Amino acid sequence: MASPGSGFWPFGTEEGSAAAESPGTDLLPTCNGEITTMSFLQDVVDILLQYVVKSFDRSTKVIDFHYPNELLQEYNWELADQPQTLEEILLNCRTTLKYAIKTGHPRYFNQLSTGLDMVGLAADWLTSAANTNIGKMIPSDLERRILEAKQKGFVPFLVSATAGTTVYGAFDPLIAIADICKKYKIWMHVDGAWGGGLLMSRKHKWKLNGIERANSVTWNPHKMMGVPLQCSALLVREEGLMQSCNQMHASYLFQQDKHYDLSYDTGDKALQCGRHVDVFKLWLMWRAKGTIGFEAQIDKCLELAEYLYNKIKNREGYEMVFDGKPQHTNVCFWYIPPSLRGMEDSEDRTSRLMKVAPVIKARMMEYGTTMVSYQPLGDKANFFRMVISNPAATHQDIDFLIDEIERLGQDL
Amino acid sequence: MGFLQRTNSLEDKSRIVSALKERQSSKSVLACENSEKESRFRRTETDFSNLYARDLLPSKNGEEQTMQFLLEVVDILLNYVRKTFDRSTKVLDFHHPHQLLEGMEGFNLELSDNPESLEQILVDCRDTLKYGVRTGHPRFFNQLSTGLDIIGLAGEWLTSTANTNMFTYEIAPVFVLMEQITLRKMREIIGWSNKNGDGIFSPGGAISNMYSIMAARYKYFPEVKTKGMAAVPKLVLFTSEHSHYSIKKAGAALGFGTDNVILIKCNERGKIIPADLEAKILEAKQKGYIPLFVNATAGTTVYGAFDPIQEIADICEKYNLWLHVDGILQGCNQMCAGYLFQPDKQYDVSYDTGDKAIQCGRHVDIFKFWLMWKAKVAPKIKALMMESGTTMVGYQPQGDKVNFFRMVISNPAATKSDIDFLIEEIERLGQEL
Repeated sequence: MASPGSGFWPFGTEEGSAAAESPGTDLLPTCNGEITTMSFLQDVVDILLQYVVKSFDRSTKVIDFHYPNELLQEYNWELADQPQTLEEILLNCRTTLKYAIKTGHPRYFNQLSTGLDMVGLAADWLTSAANTNIGKMIPSDLERRILEAKQKGFVPFLVSATAGTTVYGAFDPLIAIADICKKYKIWMHVDGAWGGGLLMSRKHKWKLNGIERANSVTWNPHKMMGVPLQCSALLVREEGLMQSCNQMHASYLFQQDKHYDLSYDTGDKALQCGRHVDVFKLWLMWRAKGTIGFEAQIDKCLELAEYLYNKIKNREGYEMVFDGKPQHTNVCFWYIPPSLRGMEDSEDRTSRLMKVAPVIKARMMEYGTTMVSYQPLGDKANFFRMVISNPAATHQDIDFLIDEIERLGQDL
Repeated sequence: MGFLQRTNSLEDKSRIVSALKERQSSKSVLACENSEKESRFRRTETDFSNLYARDLLPSKNGEEQTMQFLLEVVDILLNYVRKTFDRSTKVLDFHHPHQLLEGMEGFNLELSDNPESLEQILVDCRDTLKYGVRTGHPRFFNQLSTGLDIIGLAGEWLTSTANTNMFTYEIAPVFVLMEQITLRKMREIIGWSNKNGDGIFSPGGAISNMYSIMAARYKYFPEVKTKGMAAVPKLVLFTSEHSHYSIKKAGAALGFGTDNVILIKCNERGKIIPADLEAKILEAKQKGYIPLFVNATAGTTVYGAFDPIQEIADICEKYNLWLHVDGILQGCNQMCAGYLFQPDKQYDVSYDTGDKAIQCGRHVDIFKFWLMWKAKVAPKIKALMMESGTTMVGYQPQGDKVNFFRMVISNPAATKSDIDFLIEEIERLGQEL
């Protein structure tokens, strides 16, 4: 490669002479950059605090929605060769937040990771988310398929059970699955990315009974526990397995002759090389809330889901996708507009129903009042999948959502 | 006028905590003597010992406490930033694992069932920074990623406040566009004339390298996605003996096996020897293997060597191999998860980029980079990359060479005097050995 040339020390010249010409270099580590740096960061914080205040204000929009081409025209997002001034950088920040979704808004229910936890945010700043058989794995089917695979000469080696499926929020029967895995000597993995949070609740953790028999578990505190993204963990029962599976002994990182206990050099366990510090915000939030604080937060979300379920299960214009109380906070339902009510179940009805949720969602986004997810599943027409993991949500917000769906879907 | 000018409406203003002073809109921050005085959100004496996380937003009337708590955190961070650049502070205050575990003057790592007060949380924040390593310190040269970029820091704060995920345009409209624009710009810089290339931000180089091997394998053998490795011939990968271990790791993770990651000899400067590459390709073919992929390294981890890419490219063209350069994709990873990527959305769904990834959700890593680029100018970033070159400096053995120091400079805070300091420090500390 070419030699670095004249621009070799653009930032660190002893006297800081390069400073004034381009604004990025007015900041630390440039000499005398301290005041500018502090003022700049305080301004950033000011912008962020305003955004935080607005996030929790129900009278603000969840999103100021623009189509991609509109958004591209609204503002110049391009990267230029010339530096921008700090004024422009702050404008970039303000504009970015203006068009961003307020994921902490009490009426944002769109994804599995919602809510904005104040301690987690501080931590993130500091480091720089009943036919109850529906959707569950059927153990006898699992066993049948294991035998079938063996007969074909395949070697069954892993079963992934789900604790909290994405769509229905269903919990697979872990005890029965563990029995089968033991019988056939198969690795049992539990994907508790979404449902793992329920382990923090004395009231709901029974849904994961049998998880202690798993060989490995995925648990995403950035979903149900409200830890800022990203914070996802894989837990393995056997000590040392991650290390021996993934280690490559890179001698430039993992010198064996260091002066401290080497078992704390955990980098070779990962598939990545570098790894972002994702644990700090979880740790800090745990300190701040205690186990009981997480429990209360999770219990509240489940209680709200039950409230929604009770409110719409017999309400005119609503149909549940599956019967019975939801196990997690997933509530799956159709809104049936007046024009479709009382219609026979037919292809015509299904194809009309298919269009209802997308239109209501599009209208929600254009008004920016609330957001909730929808999807089809198999032969089922688009239905709303409400998930509550947002600790800011209240009963009034659930009521609001129902009113909004009815307001926006009335004429369909 | 300028960036102190408020864009919010009167209506918004009335919502902001009444006690917080409105700041004048005509002054530029660069002229500010004492910006704290003018800051809209002002820190006031607050007793946090009786306040808990539950008193913060979204709790009712939690606004004032929330602002005060966050301002307190910001104060801790600003102090840390200030000290980081001060050469008279230590790079780290080292303690052995057992010392930290036993607890240091009120710094206790245990998690309890009951909540700690916000005062304790603030102490935890201070202590965490206290016992950590100041990676932005002008004399920290330990790893490839060092330095504390103020704009990047602002970007990270904003990213965590927005707390969103990269999977769809619906939830990350701005960031998705930024990623597209930034990736395009990066492809331009690489020199790919085709405007419609692909790419993704990933958690790190190792994952990016793994993605590249997956993309190559899918390109040549698309059936691997549905039928698995058993359905394809025995594939081999080539990389230099000095390349990053992530290529081997990916070979293991993706089912090639590390024995099928063939290492090419390097010259004394750590560059791949093209003749050895060609010889090993022919050898593999003779054994009935299918050579698939060559990884060339632009800046090896240890020596910082640049492989001769032109010559390697010629060989790859000759034998029809995928050439990947470790220096810095859709069909392959698409699983069409119906719950995320509904094709009947009201906007152009090509902006829902989540299905490109092997992850599901993806952290918004793009914003801080986009913002830094805006602030700095591309050629300067390039200059910075080249400068990549302690008083924390890495050491290691390599092959039959005994432990040597590997100095890498990527910390923009370093100056020539810091290099002088490093040399003196090594001599001072090594004198008696």
